[in-house]
Amino acid sequence: MKPPRVVGMAIDWVEARTGAVAFLAPLLTHHVPRNAKWWYVFGSATLMFFTIQLVTGVCLATLYAPSAAEAWESLRYIDEEVPFGWMLRALHGWSSNAMVVMMAIHMLQVFLHASYKFPRELNWVTGVFLLFTVLALAFTGQVMRWDQDAYWGLGIGASIADRIPVIGNQVRGLLLGGPIIGGETLSRFFALHVFVLPGAALGLIGLHLALIMKNGISEMPKVGATVEPATYRAEYEQRMEKDGVPFYPDAAQRDMVFCGACLVLLVVLAAVYGPFGPGGQPDPTLIDTNPRPDYPFLWIFGAVSLLPPASETAVMLVAPLVGVLALVAVPFFANAGERAPSRRPGMVLIASLAVMAVAALTWEGKTSPWSPVMNAWSALPTPEHFLAGRTPLEVQGANVFQFAQCRNCHSLDGLGGERGPALDAIATRMTPDQLMRQIQQGDGNMPAFGRNLDSAQMTALVSFLSTLRPEFEAPAVIPGAQLPLPVQRMPGEVVTPVAVGSQ
Amino acid sequence: MSAIRSRLMMSALLAGGIALIPATACDRLPGRPKAAQSAQEGSPEWTVEVFNTSCRGCHAQGAVGAAVPLMDSAYWRAASDEQVTRGVLEGQGMLMPAFGLSGGGPFTPAQASALTRGMRALWGGGAQKSPEISGTLVAGNASNGKSVFDVACAGCHGVGGSAGSVTDPMYLRLISDQGLWTAVVAGRKALGSPAWNEPMPGRPNGLTTVEVADVVAYLSSQRPRSMSELKP
Ligand code: HEC
Ligand code: HEC
Repeated sequence: MKPPRVVGMAIDWVEARTGAVAFLAPLLTHHVPRNAKWWYVFGSATLMFFTIQLVTGVCLATLYAPSAAEAWESLRYIDEEVPFGWMLRALHGWSSNAMVVMMAIHMLQVFLHASYKFPRELNWVTGVFLLFTVLALAFTGQVMRWDQDAYWGLGIGASIADRIPVIGNQVRGLLLGGPIIGGETLSRFFALHVFVLPGAALGLIGLHLALIMKNGISEMPKVGATVEPATYRAEYEQRMEKDGVPFYPDAAQRDMVFCGACLVLLVVLAAVYGPFGPGGQPDPTLIDTNPRPDYPFLWIFGAVSLLPPASETAVMLVAPLVGVLALVAVPFFANAGERAPSRRPGMVLIASLAVMAVAALTWEGKTSPWSPVMNAWSALPTPEHFLAGRTPLEVQGANVFQFAQCRNCHSLDGLGGERGPALDAIATRMTPDQLMRQIQQGDGNMPAFGRNLDSAQMTALVSFLSTLRPEFEAPAVIPGAQLPLPVQRMPGEVVTPVAVGSQ
Repeated sequence: MSAIRSRLMMSALLAGGIALIPATACDRLPGRPKAAQSAQEGSPEWTVEVFNTSCRGCHAQGAVGAAVPLMDSAYWRAASDEQVTRGVLEGQGMLMPAFGLSGGGPFTPAQASALTRGMRALWGGGAQKSPEISGTLVAGNASNGKSVFDVACAGCHGVGGSAGSVTDPMYLRLISDQGLWTAVVAGRKALGSPAWNEPMPGRPNGLTTVEVADVVAYLSSQRPRSMSELKP
């Protein structure tokens, strides 16, 4: 099939004035290694997902209201009233996760094939920066939902910033636009999410692609084919001349088929599972709690939940820094020599350990009873057998237990949050003094309630908790008192009161 | 070459076809978020839903709760609708938060009174508010109240009593006078606490309305005025 003549004329007209074809043709037809096959499709798929993010993101930005008062409502509006609005959000959300995954696979492939060796060190470094830019986009994107997860995610982010020595407070203020999470915070994260970070990503992608054009695509690693910086470039160009194939259509077709498949998968995921959140409206009156973050960050939170609390500051601050430095350092630490994985068992081991660690920690972050149950305090009643036979003060203590939202993290009778241990039999483990200290000062992942409860509330709460033991018995009924009804004391056990007529 | 082209065409067609799904069947796709359809305001379903998410934690599923059980007809005989609605909107005492919009909660005044009416319809057992006694606190005489307390209440609530102290300053800090009023008038049958007109030691026919006001005034007078009186 030949294109109609007018198309050719139009192209000539543009070409004469811009030189676009002369510029693009070498890009499309530059030679790439023949044997690469399907190994090299992941970078293109990442780029495709980024493009989808740009398109859907621009559409969403026209509908989204980046103000604290309206954001949540505007998402509901997009989901329910804008035609295809929910699809737009679903695509944006799923494509974001897919981009992170694809990027990780791409990096892993590059790492295993040691494609970062001379002369492609800077390809790798720009890639590492891209990784962190994309993760930052994912994090700020989660904040855009402005629901409870976002709100508490910010809280955690702020508390991490707070831990930075000396300038912690300033960093926190800079991030949140004030001492607390508020309208300023959302504007700030919106600007990051739609201007600063996409701009940075575009710049880095341009650089990354330019470097790829400059340095060519690496060949498949072969045992014995070592990289010698002094001679590599000349030899590479020679081999491409002789044995390479043009990028378009030979390699490009594979990219297209793979991207097509990814696109199909993305649409199916979006259509079946729909958009992410928004969860409940953020409520600043809830006591500090921990959120469950989006997928790309679950592993970090999984790791934090396994850490002994004392080491948290050190690990949260130092680990990311070490991670970035280690990744950037990779190509400088080993930029010549063998590329074949079979000759680099140490690197293969590191890569597999990293993959397993991230997978296991993601699982941990996903399944650990991490989040509090946000409405447990107002929705889950105190089981009857924890109330029967208690004094009025102790019963009020049960009210304090709900009121202070202890139930969001602690279950009774199996109902309630599982962030902290179940408290059904806490009185067998802790004395009133220990209880008081625990509640006042908090501990590890339990917030300190010292300033939130006055002494009457504290006394009532502790006296209620002190009755939570299996063998609890109501005080004996004394003569002179007449109980109108049997009193239920323990599950199943009904004690008929001693009914003594009034003298 | 033509094999490649047809393969490309195939996958492009496939991708295009799949991408068309949302365009054609958007409304019926499983991923489409369900519109937050809440039950008709004031309907029994709505009342139960609101109660289950916002009230049940303290006010009990059934007759035994940390705070007054609202599924108990005894409560609805003792409480007036105005009193309940005010409690919902403004909160009460130290531990009942305000659920009205002006107090930072979710309910408009109209919703709060719809909720009150809905709960009475569901759990009032057909009972109207008892006309014999006020639903809201009535001022009384504390020293008369003390004598009533010593006779009628101390058997259960006095030193060594089975029901625990109600004159404990810590306890009194936490409960409002209105809360005391409701507690004395409605009782807590399931926990063994008599309603005002049920038999008590020395009061085989229960209390008079004046005695209720007096005994609540007495309890109220035992409440510490400031936190400094409260050092544990
Ligand atoms: C944000 C969730 C959260 C909230 C809210 C919370 N706790 Fe905890 N609590 C925890 C965690 C987590 C632990 C385990 C502490 C640790 O890391 O050692 C814990 C531990 C405890 C313990 C010690 C349990 C044991 O077996 O060692 C007690 C008692 C306790 N909490 C009581 C309370 C009370 C009372 C309240 C309400 C005032 C409350 N908690 C609110 C998370 C929470
Ligand atoms: C037959 C014994 C008995 C008598 C008599 C009795 N009570 Fe009670 N009262 C109870 C029991 C049992 C409870 C429930 C205990 C609880 O709330 O933990 C209770 C609870 C209360 C409460 C707390 C309610 C709440 O929600 O916090 C108050 C206030 C109270 N009684 C006041 C009185 C007064 C005033 C009198 C006398 C007019 C009185 N009671 C007579 C047994 C009695």
